Order: sequence, then structure tokens, then C-alpha cells
Amino acid sequence: MTDTTLSGVHLADSARKSRIHETFGVALLLLAPSLVFLALFTYWPVVQVAWQSLTVESFGGATRTGLDNFQRLFADARFARAAQNNIVFAVGTVVPSIVLALAFAVGLQETTRLTSGLRTVFILPVMIPLVAASALFSFIFQPRFGLLDYYLGSLGFGTTNWIGNPDLALWSLMGLTVWKNAGYYMLFFLAGLQAIPDELYESARVEGAKAVQRFRRITLPLLRPTLAFVVVIALLQVLTNVDHIILLTGGGPSDSTNVLLYYIYQQAHENYDIGLAAAATVVTVAALLVISAVSLRTLEHGIHYEG
Amino acid sequence: MTASRSGSPRLAATILLVAVAVIWVTPFAWMLIASLRPDAAGGADIASLIPSAQSGFGNFVDAWQSGNFPLWYLNTAILCAGVLAVQLVTITCAGYAFARLEFPGRQAFFYLFLMQLMLVPPILIVPNLITLSKFGLYDTLVGVMAPYFASAFGVFLMRQTFRTIPRDFEEAARVDGASRAQIICRILVPLARPGFIAFAIVSVTAHWNEFLWPLMVTSSPSNRVLTVGLASFTRSAESGSQWGLIAAGTLLVAAPLLIAFVLFQRRFVSSFVFTGIK
Amino acid sequence: MNALMRSAAAVAVASGLSLTPAQAATEIQLFFPVPVQGKLANEMENLVARFNSEHPDIKVTPVYTGSYDETNLKTRAAIKAGQPPAAVIMSASFILEYVINGEVEPYDELIAAEGKTPAEFMDDFWPALHGNALIDGKVYGVPFHNSTPLLYYNVRLFEEAGLDPDNPPATWAEWIDAAQKLTRRNGDKVEQWGVMMPTTYDYLGWITSALNMSNGGQYYNQNYAGEVYYDTPTMLGALNLLHDMVFEYKVMPEGVNDANSVTSAFFAGQLGTMILSTGSLSFVRENMKEPYRVAFVPRNVRNAVPIGGASLMMPKGLSEEQKKAGFELVKWLTSPEISGHWSRFTGYFAPNRHAYDSDEMKAFLVEHPDAKVALDQLAHAGSWFATYNTVGVRKALEDEVQAVLSGKKDPAQALKDAQAAADALMRPYVEATALSYLN
Repeated sequence: MTDTTLSGVHLADSARKSRIHETFGVALLLLAPSLVFLALFTYWPVVQVAWQSLTVESFGGATRTGLDNFQRLFADARFARAAQNNIVFAVGTVVPSIVLALAFAVGLQETTRLTSGLRTVFILPVMIPLVAASALFSFIFQPRFGLLDYYLGSLGFGTTNWIGNPDLALWSLMGLTVWKNAGYYMLFFLAGLQAIPDELYESARVEGAKAVQRFRRITLPLLRPTLAFVVVIALLQVLTNVDHIILLTGGGPSDSTNVLLYYIYQQAHENYDIGLAAAATVVTVAALLVISAVSLRTLEHGIHYEG
Repeated sequence: MTASRSGSPRLAATILLVAVAVIWVTPFAWMLIASLRPDAAGGADIASLIPSAQSGFGNFVDAWQSGNFPLWYLNTAILCAGVLAVQLVTITCAGYAFARLEFPGRQAFFYLFLMQLMLVPPILIVPNLITLSKFGLYDTLVGVMAPYFASAFGVFLMRQTFRTIPRDFEEAARVDGASRAQIICRILVPLARPGFIAFAIVSVTAHWNEFLWPLMVTSSPSNRVLTVGLASFTRSAESGSQWGLIAAGTLLVAAPLLIAFVLFQRRFVSSFVFTGIK
Repeated sequence: MNALMRSAAAVAVASGLSLTPAQAATEIQLFFPVPVQGKLANEMENLVARFNSEHPDIKVTPVYTGSYDETNLKTRAAIKAGQPPAAVIMSASFILEYVINGEVEPYDELIAAEGKTPAEFMDDFWPALHGNALIDGKVYGVPFHNSTPLLYYNVRLFEEAGLDPDNPPATWAEWIDAAQKLTRRNGDKVEQWGVMMPTTYDYLGWITSALNMSNGGQYYNQNYAGEVYYDTPTMLGALNLLHDMVFEYKVMPEGVNDANSVTSAFFAGQLGTMILSTGSLSFVRENMKEPYRVAFVPRNVRNAVPIGGASLMMPKGLSEEQKKAGFELVKWLTSPEISGHWSRFTGYFAPNRHAYDSDEMKAFLVEHPDAKVALDQLAHAGSWFATYNTVGVRKALEDEVQAVLSGKKDPAQALKDAQAAADALMRPYVEATALSYLN
């Protein structure tokens, strides 16, 4: 009696185990094509970076292992400045882009000739190469003769040096980034909105809920997972995509638009300080992993709720 | 007073949206006007949005003649198509695994995938070039493509998409004796088509416009892509810029994407509708 | 069999034959950036095509490599990936670091093979260019196209302000005086500036160094890569000038301005004088609709400007054939004929002084007196800033000068901070070299 139960449990357990083994095998097979390329072009460099961050190189080639690179990194005022700029830049672009994107999506939810046109307008900035956009923006931001100043001037405003004034440059770049990204995020919100059943709105309307109330009680809660997804994508995009900073200001004036990625770029390619660049990368990736994990947990949580 | 309760706020919202859209489109309007303006290297009214009386296509002719646009279009199209073709396979497989299979370490694997989105490109240039060189892919279009064959973004997107497709379809097919491969190919992939279209648009736009990586990998003029070509005749460091030429060149580069988007705008947006990123 | 093949190959090599004559052409790459104007990329490709047709045994692929910075990035990556180009047109201030890192080959052996000494080889080039070409007595960079800062001025505005266009400001005092007359205000708004210059990274360091040199100063230690002279009286004078132009006399706009802002104002006829590269001569000539002229950068103590531009260098890791082929290309590109042609096309001056012996070039200088002035200033030129960590050390100063131009710091404090930042960046090199006699 006892024996049979035991063996029964044992049997079920091993069957489950072998099923898990089988699933794991299938999963690995399916992940393999991606993993091959990730191993070659993502993990191998990551391993090298991790190793470099722990390698202390003295001039002339002698090396040893230690945490000196991290010590130097945390002692570097420029790193702190870049991290601080990056937080301002991330919050200052992600929040307005997402608010705008949400507004665009809610406003352009229904498809008419006008809304189709407006959607196209908002997505246009995503479509042009950054190499060209940067050249055009250096013109738009030009004092006096640029597009902004020319028309602000005709409205009676004075000359503004948008990217040449250290107090203003980061904000100008934020404006450019919001312009460039809001339409991209709008698309995800449009998708999320379409998935909300109309009946919910109908019944809310019957109960006499006003537009603002409907937005707060239905749209926002049901869009929460989309919001979390867009926040993750937007944060990663803002932190890893700084080509326009490199091209427009080079981190200046007076280091006022330096952000983490550009700091890493400078250490790696201008100062040839591979150790410091690697340490900064490790710290940045670790921070991004934590931020993404927290945001994603929110996302997964939301999906679970909807069940 | 108003015909509908929401009429007046809706009108206000529309006016606001149109106003914002005007701001959004102004740089493009200027680009178009500047591209038609002769000698747009400077001058007091270079920013004017009123087209010049002597408008013409001179800048477009100059831009076109400054390089081998047909070849650059072809290379860029090959690049985008090649990346996308492989990506569709890799993201379908991995997206399915993350969406449908329960396996130990799934969460860990998923974050391992997402790591691709967190790595800063400059740090990857040298190690990846060395890897490409070992495989003999230096100065080839395949070399430009290879690091993108796996796409964490795409896997993430497809995982969400597959999750919104009810499992009933698969169960029914399984009862009929379909294999896993058949289920993926015949049921999930067709149902997830809008998701693939959405991903395709994101992927193609990104690779169409990329500059630094193709510049690093390719050398031969026969492998040159649009952005590198554009830069070869519009960049300048020691002088000022020729805005008309830059604007014309940019429009030439962006034209295929812009036209495709305007033509397929409805489908573009509706394709996001079913991806289930909700 | 194998041994037989090898000996056959040895015989073939020894007798100057090739086993496969059809593939005899040595394939090499030339990396080139486009620093001034886009159409140069096309012209460079034309030149290389001509070289290839004149040299059937060599096949050069011209590779456009973006800006100077991107060219630097790509060159390093290519070297590390084991795919070095045989010749790179590299910003002259970057070459020293390739030498420090052991990634570049000197041309000396190839020069010696022609029976020349480095001094004899360099004799064809203007003396001002030798400083950046020779490092530790070896030829690492063959000057390809060069420039210096230059003063451009608007003739109409000079006349309207009662200034004599034939006597442009020669000293800082005259410059300030002229600039004040050239600046026109309408209430709070400035409608016309007296002075503008590009003050973005790279350009700013170059121009600051020009002002420092014309104040009698020396920007860096030309014989040692670990020393710069930022916190000095000559530098303070230069920064005071910039500071006063903006805040005391208000003849120059505040903050940082790029080359586009400067040329826009100049082409719009709303700028009296500007400092810009001689490499921009063609660009200005094509786009400036009003009469303009050029002059030396005004002096305080002496006339002096730094060289800018790019040199040809040869990365390590090439085969002997590639080296030889690369040197053929280098010699051809810097020959009087090609050098002169490129100079007329771009506005850069030709580094090979014999380029100016040709009738074509003489006629060109008569037709374009601005090019003549640029050439004359070359007699007063010195070498260009290059240290360990060149870019970082240069930016250490530029960040502080930008702070001065934005009214954030006074010049004296800015220079103290710049010196400290630069010293910190060069510390590893200094500790391993000047402060250590054990190795």
C-alpha cells in the first residue's frame, strides 16, 4: 500500500520531470537561433567588458585585477555629472513624450481622414535618419537665423542660443528628443486603446460618466500594461540612443549635455581609457536591468490582473 | 447648448492637436522649402517658410549626382530585407518559447535577452568588428546585418502578441494531431501577422536610418548604404552647411519610407491594434 | 610537393615575378574623411581612380570614413580587427597618440629605400608642417591638406563703419576698435556683430591656441606629450580678449556658436569679422554674395597661428607589398601636381611647397588674393596641439573657455581648472615617463 503510493508519486514525479526536460529541450531549441547571435554579438562583448572593468592597466601594458576602475569611476565628477544629466534627460524626455503620445493616441483613436493625416504627421520624425536630423536641428537651433529664432524673433522674442547656452542646451536636446519619439510611442498606445472593448465605455456612458471620468476609470487602468511597456522601451531608448547629442553638442557646452552613454563613448574612443569605459558600462547596464525588471514586473502584474 | 455633450471639448481637443501637429510638421515643411531653394547656404532669410521665387529642383539634381543613389538604395534595401528575414525566424521561435512554454529559468533567459537593449553601441564596435573579421564578414553587408539577427525588442513584442492569442486554437489543432512546428507555422504566425507587420516597420525604419555601424563595417564603395552616402556629401566640419543640399539629400533618403508610410498608414496603425501590447 | 611549391614561389619572388600575374595588383585601402564640403568625396574618388589607372600594379579602394572623429574610430577598430588600411587621411593632432599606442608605422624605411633621409623627404613640405609630421625624428604623418585660422571681413560693412578695407585690423587693439564700430544695436537687439568665431569643440581649441600663440604663447610642449601650458599669462591674455569681446565691449555673441551660425551671419551681411579656417576659402567664395577679404589673425605680441588639417599615416599590420603600395599612393597624393589640384579644389593650402611653382598655381593666386594671404600667413604658422589623450586634454580647456564665453567663470579661474583637469588626464603618461627613470 505504502509502496504503491510511493511509487505512484515517484512515477508522476519523474513523468513531470521528463516533461519539463522535454519542454526545456524544445525551449532551448527555439531560443537557440537567437542565442547564437546574442552570444556572438552581445554576450561575448559583455564578458569582455566585465573582464576589462576588473582589469587595471598601468601605462606600458602591465595589468592586474582589481576594483580600481570602479573606484576611479565613482570618484570622477564627470561621471556624477553625466549620471545627473542623464536622470534629468530621461525624466524630462520620457514623461513628456509619453504624456504627449497618450494624448495623441486618445485624440486620434478613431480613424477619419483628419486623424489619419495627423497620425502621419506625428510619426514623421521617426522616419528620418538621425545623421540628417542632427544637421537640420543644428540649423533649427541656430541663434537669429535658425527656424526657431527666426519665427520667435518675428513674434518679438529676442535671440536665444538654444544649444550654445550651457543652461539651455540640455533642455533643447530634450525638446528634440520628445519631438522625435512621441509619435513612436503613440503607436503602441493606439494599439493598446484598440484592445479596450467598446462595451466598457458604453456602460460607463450609460451610468453618466464624463469623458475625464471614463479616461480615469477605464482607459488609464486598462492601459497600464501598455504604459509599463512603453516606459521600459522609452527609458532604454533614451539612455542608449544619444547619437544626436554626439552630433549636435558633443556633450557641450562646458560638459552640460554629457550623458552616461556619451561619457562611455568619450572614455572608450577619446581618452582610450578602456577600463573606465568598461566600469561605466557595467554600472549602466546593471542600473538598466534593475529599472527594466521593476517596470516589467509592473507590466506582468497588469496582465495577470486582467487574467 | 451644444448638440452633443462632448462636442465642445472634442472640438477644443481637435484644435489643440492640429496646433501641435503644425509644430511637429514645421521642420519638414522647412526642409521641403529649403530643398527647393537655390543657394541655401546662408543668408538672413534662410529660415523663411515662404518658398523662394526661383524654386527649382537644382538641389535634388546636385544631391542625386553627388553619389550613386541607385546602388545605395539597393544596398540599404538588401540590408533591411536581410536583417528582417532572419529576425522574423529568430523572434518567432524565441517569442513562442517565452509566451507558451513553461521551462526552468524562463524569467532569467528573458532578462538575458533584454540585455541586448541595454548595451550601449559604442562599446560593442571593436569587439564586434573583431568577431566579424574572424568570420570573414568585415566589409560585407552580411557583416552589417549579423549583430541584428537576434532582436530582443522583437522577441518581447512577439511574446506579447502570442500571449493575446487564445490557446483554444492550438489545443484544437493538437487534438487533430498537428505537430508543434505545424501549430506555430499554420496557426500562430498567421494570427500574429499584424504583430509581424508592426515589427517589420520598426525594424526597417531603424536599419534604413542607421549610420555609425554600417560606416564601421563597410569600406568598399560597392557596399555603401544610404546614410553613409548622404553623409559623404552633406557633412562638413570646418565650414558652414549647405542646407538646401542637406534637405534635398535627406528627402531622397527618407522618401521610400515616407511614401510607404503615407500609402500604408491605415494598415500600419491597425497592425499595432492586434499585437496585444496592452 | 609543398616544398616544391614554396621554392617555386621563392624563385618567383626573388626574380620579381608573380605566380599569378592576373592578380598581381596589390590591393590597399585609403581611408578619407570629408572635413570641408561634401563634393570632396567625389573628387577624392576621381583622384584615386586616376592613380589606379596610372599604377596598374596597385589597386586602391577609396573609403569614405565620415568626420575626423569617425575616421579615427574606424581606423582604430580596423587595426584591432586586423584589417588596417594602407593609408589614412588622419587629423594631424591624432597621430601622436597612435605613436604612443604603437599602432602606426613610420615612413622612414620606405623613405630610406629611395635613398633619402627624413630631412630630405620633408624638405618638400612647408617648414611649419614639420612639427606635426615628425615625432621623435621619424616621419609618421605626411601632410596632405592643411589650414590655419584666418580673419575674414565684410568690405561693405567696413566702409559703412568708416573703416579702411585695405587696412584690416592687425592687432588685438585695432580688432576691438573695429569690432565696436562694426557692431550695430537696435535697442536690446544686436543687428550686426563685430566678431564671431566657431566656439564648438575642436574648433574652439584651435582658435584659442591661435590667440594664445599670437599673444606670444606656447599651447603645449611640442617635445613631450604629457605637458600643456594652460594656466599661463599668455593664455590668460587670450581668454581675457575673448571674455572682453563678449562682456566688456559686447562685440561678440555670448555662449557657444558653431561654424554654421558664424557663416550664416557672415553670408547674411550681418557680421563684420570672423575667424574661420583657410580650408573654408572655397566654401566662402561660393556662398558669400558681398565683397569680402581676408587677413592674418590679429596679433598682440606676434603673428602666429597653429596648423590644422590632416596628414597621411600608415597603420601597423600591413604586408611589405601593401606598405610599398601605400607609400606610392602617399607620394602621388602629396606630389606638387596633385597637391596643387586638391588645394585649388578645396581651399586648403598645398603642403608641398613646390605645388606653388606651377603656372597654374601662380595664376590661381593672382586670381584669388585671399588664397595668397592664407599662404603668406603660413610663414608665421606653428605646429598643432597634440598630446597624450589629445581630445580629452583639449576638451579640458574648451569646457572652461566655453564657461568663460557663457559668463559662468572668470578667465583666471577657468584656466586653473583647465590646467588641473588636463594634468589629471595626462597623469598616467607622466608617471610612466617623465616621473619614472626606472624604465
